[in-house]
Amino acid sequence: MREGVARVGRLLRYIVIRGLLIIPTILILYTLIFILLRVIPGNPILSALGTHYVPPEILQEKMHRLGLDKPLYVQYFDYLWNILHGNFGESMVIEGRSISKDLAYRIPATIELTIAGFTVSVLLGLITGTLAALRRGSKIDYSMRVYGIVAYTLFIPWLGSLFILLFSVYLGWLPAGGRLDPSITLKRITGIYTLDAILTGNPAAFFNALKHLILPALTLGIVLSGAYTRLVRSNLSDILQADFIRAYRSRGLPETKVLKYALRNAMIPIVTYMGLQLAILLGGAVLTETTFSWPGLGSYLFEKIQYRDYSAIQGTIMVFAFMVGLVSLIVDIIYALIDPRIRY
Amino acid sequence: MSYKRRAISRSVLIASVVIIVLIIVGAFYTLGGQEKEKVVVIGVTDKITDLDPANAYDFFTWEVLSNVMAGLVKYDPDTGKIVGDLATSWDVQENGKVWIFHLRQDAKFADGTPCTAHDVVRSIERVMKIQGDPSWLVTEFVEKVEALDDYTVKFTLKTPASYFLAVVATPPYYPVHPNYPDDQIASDATWGGCGPYKIEEWVRDEKLVLVPNPYYYGEKPKNDKVVITFYSSANALKNALLSGEIDVAWRTLNPEDIQDLQNNPDFKVLEVPGLYIRYVVIKTDAPPTDNVLVRQALAAAVNRTEIAETVFKGTVEPLYSMVPAGLWSHIDAFKTKYGDANLDLARQLLQQAGYSETNKLHIELWYTPTHYGDTEAQLAAVLKSQWEKTGMITVDVKSSEWSQYVDQLRNGQMMVSLLGWYPDYLDPDNYLTPFLSSTANSWTGTGYSNPTVDQLLKEAQTLTDQTQRAQLYEQVQNILAEDVPYIPLIQGKLYVVTSKDVTSIKISPLMFLLYDSIEVGG
Repeated sequence: MREGVARVGRLLRYIVIRGLLIIPTILILYTLIFILLRVIPGNPILSALGTHYVPPEILQEKMHRLGLDKPLYVQYFDYLWNILHGNFGESMVIEGRSISKDLAYRIPATIELTIAGFTVSVLLGLITGTLAALRRGSKIDYSMRVYGIVAYTLFIPWLGSLFILLFSVYLGWLPAGGRLDPSITLKRITGIYTLDAILTGNPAAFFNALKHLILPALTLGIVLSGAYTRLVRSNLSDILQADFIRAYRSRGLPETKVLKYALRNAMIPIVTYMGLQLAILLGGAVLTETTFSWPGLGSYLFEKIQYRDYSAIQGTIMVFAFMVGLVSLIVDIIYALIDPRIRY
Repeated sequence: MSYKRRAISRSVLIASVVIIVLIIVGAFYTLGGQEKEKVVVIGVTDKITDLDPANAYDFFTWEVLSNVMAGLVKYDPDTGKIVGDLATSWDVQENGKVWIFHLRQDAKFADGTPCTAHDVVRSIERVMKIQGDPSWLVTEFVEKVEALDDYTVKFTLKTPASYFLAVVATPPYYPVHPNYPDDQIASDATWGGCGPYKIEEWVRDEKLVLVPNPYYYGEKPKNDKVVITFYSSANALKNALLSGEIDVAWRTLNPEDIQDLQNNPDFKVLEVPGLYIRYVVIKTDAPPTDNVLVRQALAAAVNRTEIAETVFKGTVEPLYSMVPAGLWSHIDAFKTKYGDANLDLARQLLQQAGYSETNKLHIELWYTPTHYGDTEAQLAAVLKSQWEKTGMITVDVKSSEWSQYVDQLRNGQMMVSLLGWYPDYLDPDNYLTPFLSSTANSWTGTGYSNPTVDQLLKEAQTLTDQTQRAQLYEQVQNILAEDVPYIPLIQGKLYVVTSKDVTSIKISPLMFLLYDSIEVGG
């Protein structure tokens, strides 16, 4: 009993320490991105104006309004102070536009895409990997391994454009971009359109949102599945040769049951990998979103970088960092709970 | 056996009758039911910046504003002349220093609030107070604006400006709904003005839905709804058109795609002469391009026809002055002076400047890879080959991203660079003063200054007689061709590609798509 209480206490301490470690990670990232943005040439005001003529006094006034005339260290701490208060500041290109509002609008879009892409990649990885492991050395094995390598090396915009050409332009089955047909109205609750459609009982919107989701999710999923294919194949084939599997088989357990046990054992390293995958998933989302005009964080970041919208870029990166930090914390906690080798 | 067969055939018969009846009923239901809403979906690669005329300063946002708001005057899409919009008439006093506009009395905002002279005055004062990016279009001209009564607005200008009407036609002069705060930019405001449309829904970067303003005084729009959707690239825009997601593909498709679509019977391509120009900027205050002979040689060697055909696939026209063809006072100044691809003259000029085939002129040519579309790298490569054809020039092509590019431009860090220009207001002045006037052209980084040109431009601004002004602008264009701080290259054409269902479409002289003119067949 007392052992149990102590265990919970230790676990809590572990979680708090791991949680606190996210802070320096984010701080370092913020510092890096802050410096990087100021080192690269160009600034938000001139990028937005481009070749338009604007009198110098107005430029000066604008610099002042946006706080760009303050010393760099002041800008650095000002923004940090804002973020600590949950305020991501205002856009430097679209004045008065709150970045928190932009981010809040776009985060659900990215979450929807990444969850769908993630699901596709895991499913594809499991199927192809299992097929390869079961038929080791056969033609199927070779083709699955080739799939794994090719998928891993594919370039998202290329694959995405290929899908658009095939499924949208030639066959006309699926939309080429966006999240919802402009003619369909959907009440926004969570911002995850498929979920909102279910919550509001709107089947037309649900199927439409799903149609828009298929190609981006497939593109992102296929590219990320390559790594899973190889991981599942190698883990599963090792386990299929383990003694306990041989024991199952010798007792005449049906092959499907054997596979079930083998897969469960092979999953441990794969789950770890899923956690690590999130950062890559978010990176892939940037490319997928720009290919499919998907209004999420990735396309937002891409666009804002072109305009050197300092505060918007900083804000988006912070959100990315926080999401990655949070997920790795959750993975660590799950790990601590399920793996007895981890001490805390 | 036969009974069975008969039973089957009977049930088939009954089934067919039922199906036919259902189809007929269904057809009647869908056809005869309510009349179908006429929705036009327009796809663009542009973004809307601020839906507020006090700070919007880009082509596409201005287009949207011009469809949801109305100004005192506007351009007639058929004649290209400035005609009254909110103003029914105007008087010019004190030689162009005082302008008095008489407003119509039936103008209303989209919620029914009347739009009066006080709204006009408040909106313009608001632009002056906020000091947004385009505010100079007001502050450089207007000393004071006041409402003489509910339907009369008086402007007192700082100096007489003959082309003030062209300036008044721009969005910073549009009256906005009383809800817009006096001293703050409202980037996502949807109250709008008193134009043909009102904003029904606005989801940033995703869609903008417009429906007719029920209180609009003018002709009713030819459609019931306009939806604008935003795409991340020219390619995505083309795919959306091909897959039938949009009815109209507006700015901006790639030249190759336009060429393909012209041969595709499912689509219609509308071509309009554009007032958009592309040109080369040359630094005039550092060697080697501070030598006017060098600049003239560069101008002589350019082959505009080749550029228009190979790079832009015939979607543009060669341009021989900074003032585009089609705008009054335009002359082919560069063609008269240098011709096109005049290599002999170029070589001669280079020799005079002390260069030869062994002692070559070294030029750095800059371009920016995404801002002007995918053709830009090719444009730079073609220019390089044209200049190198003289045998006396070597060209280094360099590039940088847009925001860096603009920075380098303003700081005068590029020897020769490629740029483009859309007019703010439709007057030759807007194609000359920002480039050539030594007080206004610092943004181009050329360091060009010529007192004669400054004097001529200033004089032209104050004259009211168009013929006299045209004479001055012709002189300026000739000096431009002589001094060559810029080399005009091409003049854009605009393309609107629509599905076959779209039966009518119009573009204003300012190159804005007029949403109310778009008609979709049933």
